[in-house]
Amino acid sequence: MRPHDNRAWFLLLPAVLLLGLVGALPLLAVLNYGFHDIFTLQDVHWVGVEWFADILGSDRFLASLGRSLLFSTLALAIQVPLGIAVALLLLSIGKRAVWGLMLVALPLVVPWNMIPMLWLGLIQPDTGLLGPGLAALGFDWKFTAWHTWALILAVDTWHWLGLVVVLAYAGLSAIPAAYLQAAAIDGASRLAILRHIQLPRIAGALAIVFLLRFVDSFMIYTEAFAINAGGPNDATRFLTLELGEEIKGFSYGQAATRATLYFLIVLAVVWAFVAATRERAA
Amino acid sequence: MRVLALLALAAFILLPLVQAVILSFTATLPTDRVADGTLGLMNYHAVLATPELRAAMVNSLIYVGLNVALCVGIGLPAAYALARVRFTGDRHFLLAILVFRVTPPVVLSLPIFILFSQLGLVNSPVGIALVHCLFNLPVAIWILESFIRAVPPEFDETAFLDGHSGASFFLRHLIPQIAPGIGVAAFFCFIFSWVEVVFARILTVTGGKPITMAIQAMFSFQTDIGRVMAMTCLSLVPGVAMIWFVRGHLAKGFTLRA
Repeated sequence: MRPHDNRAWFLLLPAVLLLGLVGALPLLAVLNYGFHDIFTLQDVHWVGVEWFADILGSDRFLASLGRSLLFSTLALAIQVPLGIAVALLLLSIGKRAVWGLMLVALPLVVPWNMIPMLWLGLIQPDTGLLGPGLAALGFDWKFTAWHTWALILAVDTWHWLGLVVVLAYAGLSAIPAAYLQAAAIDGASRLAILRHIQLPRIAGALAIVFLLRFVDSFMIYTEAFAINAGGPNDATRFLTLELGEEIKGFSYGQAATRATLYFLIVLAVVWAFVAATRERAA
Repeated sequence: MRVLALLALAAFILLPLVQAVILSFTATLPTDRVADGTLGLMNYHAVLATPELRAAMVNSLIYVGLNVALCVGIGLPAAYALARVRFTGDRHFLLAILVFRVTPPVVLSLPIFILFSQLGLVNSPVGIALVHCLFNLPVAIWILESFIRAVPPEFDETAFLDGHSGASFFLRHLIPQIAPGIGVAAFFCFIFSWVEVVFARILTVTGGKPITMAIQAMFSFQTDIGRVMAMTCLSLVPGVAMIWFVRGHLAKGFTLRA
């Protein structure tokens, strides 16, 4: 058991100060702006919960919330099982797995604003490597809603699969070989080993994967905006795209209200996540 | 079967990158000297000959380097405290850093801009380095903490008995002991800072443009996509080098306590 010592706060002090400056202070400011109408920073009026009522009561907000939730659900449903499958695949090739890990980590180092550009280049109908083939199949990401969805999901999966694989692989490779040998001697099937030994042992790693992937896909902006700017017909208008529009339109009060709401949603998800992990640990 | 799956994975990951590399070696905007579609290094020559683009690479390297130094320097004592002792509010601190890590940048972009313009940190690499700590410092603390936990507490006590304490203990004993952990933490901080665009965009209004924004600025009425891709490929070099350096430790992962 670790000893109890409150002097530890001295070691945390620099981190607390820094996060206070770039995290807590701006958060308080957002909260405050959300209750005001802001024309310029010198011209600010208190409006109370007017923006909150406007946004929460609008169908557009609820529709965007639904789209963002659906997008996160699909992203998690694709990326988590696929990431675990790739991690298991890499685990089975022994020492050469390091090449696989380097491969899947590559998309993580691509600047975010260039990721949609790479993909749009790839599917360009006349010059892209995949473009002519996709065009022949009738793939039309500009005007067919579910094609845009498929493209954004593919791009997001390409971007983040590496993180899922790396964390899942780290968890899987830490399982003592004796466990797996014992199961093999008992004649356990591949599926049974996965279900009863491997998945429970990497539950902690998977929890953080779920949380990070949920929040990041829920708040996807750069890729979604660059690919079709919310189109066609608002079919990919996610929550962040609406926030971006308001900031660009100088509606700072409304934008701050929206930001506060998004933060509260994220906070609720973190809360649920922490409650779930503590329950499992207890 | 296994080989097929690996090949499919490699194709999926590499295709967009292959496309970029091919374009970066192709003349895409014909000039009087080079015909459209010629292969060669001209895009790279053109990019490296542009002062703004060279400056952007330097800007990015400065703030990313500064951010890594800040995150490791500030994260290390915090991670040590969390790994070794319990204290009042430790779980609240862990919860708070988790919340900061997952707070979407777009939520904070507006007040960060106002706050930093009052502090005179707009258009400066220091501003971006500081604000990127919002999501990188938590990651650094988690990674370093899990590595420090793997070192038995007796190791610290031996060093203390030898008369080392404070800074000398961290520098001479702990850091060499968890060097791979520092490498992994630096790697994640590096890549998340290098690829980030929301804060990097709003904090560079008139100057100090990072590489991501410099690439963005190359899109115009007549975009030379070959040069854009050449610049993109150059922007991948530091990240790929980082992957290579930490390849053996990439899958150590981090454990999250909250």
